[in-house]
Amino acid sequence: MNTRDLVLVALFAAIVIVLGLIPPITLGFIPVPITAQSMGVMLAGCIIGAKRGALAFLLFILLVAIGLPVLSGGRGGLAVFAGPSGGFILGWAVAAFVTGLIAERFVHPANSEGRQFAGFFLASVIGGIVVLYAIGVPWLSAVTGTPLLAAATGSLVFIPGDLLKAAIAALAARAVLAGYPLLPVRA
Amino acid sequence: MLTSLYVEGKSWFHRVPVRAKLIALVIVSLLLFATKSLTLLLPAFLLCGSLYLSLGMTLREAISRVGFIFFTILVLALVNLFLLPVPDVAALILRLTSLVLFAAAVTATTTIGAFMDEITILMKPFERLGLLRAADVSLALGLVLRFVPDIFARYQAIREAHRARGLPVRPLTIVGPLIILTLKDADTIAAAIDARGFRRQ
Repeated sequence: MNTRDLVLVALFAAIVIVLGLIPPITLGFIPVPITAQSMGVMLAGCIIGAKRGALAFLLFILLVAIGLPVLSGGRGGLAVFAGPSGGFILGWAVAAFVTGLIAERFVHPANSEGRQFAGFFLASVIGGIVVLYAIGVPWLSAVTGTPLLAAATGSLVFIPGDLLKAAIAALAARAVLAGYPLLPVRA
Repeated sequence: MLTSLYVEGKSWFHRVPVRAKLIALVIVSLLLFATKSLTLLLPAFLLCGSLYLSLGMTLREAISRVGFIFFTILVLALVNLFLLPVPDVAALILRLTSLVLFAAAVTATTTIGAFMDEITILMKPFERLGLLRAADVSLALGLVLRFVPDIFARYQAIREAHRARGLPVRPLTIVGPLIILTLKDADTIAAAIDARGFRRQ
């Protein structure tokens, strides 16, 4: 890993922290506020790729663990990992990695605009939703004793918001690919 | 902007070495998950609660730090009430809240510097295998802390630019420029780091 990759990783972790400072947007038709921070997983994978994206989130998790209030709403500290949603926080690194792997395979700067968007959207959905919930939900079920099926059904509430985030992330990733491409594997 | 969750204080828990606290956290969580008995979990909850409250925070600050997690635990407990017997639900709530309180106590009494020293030691084996360098991790952490205020100022500038043109402020139109502008700096920063020879490459 060269110095540029190291800096990209650090700057992306910093971007994710800033996304947590942006006030959340509440939409009328779904009860869950859209925080820009949870979109960071999809953005990281799609913009800086699998390896650097995962490292950016490992760095972010380290910042949470050492007691900096970097999660949206000024949360942080070891208590976050001890709580029910600890699996989602730790799962972010894996989710960013999978998102990046898919994006690196399916999206090339030479592709048409629509194909790039489709590739980023697919990567965001599989990495940022499927993989993330596959880690977070069983963890939550194990920690809280809530039966797995009930925990999985309950998380369906968040899916519409997540799909919307995947769409926003895909559009933003496409804009970055057009304006300042970083995805082509260099790390 | 990023003030640590460390709380100044002179309680006995402040003086316990970090490593002991982290090992205690692991042991406490293993013990808590090993038992379902309310006669053990209730005293554990009271102990962790009084430890957390004895650290010199105002009650309001103490609650605001763990309030969000407690809210999630309560919501899940309400769901559990329909699916599990009541004593089981009580045990689950006590176990999780105790663990959260203990973890919050460790965070509140440990400085970032102390954590970093411990992390450097934990990374030694990886360093020997050539997988990563402890110095790189510290450098990356420093870069993050240094650049968050700059990036936040950039976000505000983009938002003001939106307002000045009468555009609605939406994540979609903000995130793209924010990321491009920030990552464009990477080359300059990397060149500056290499020019100073921080990484000896």
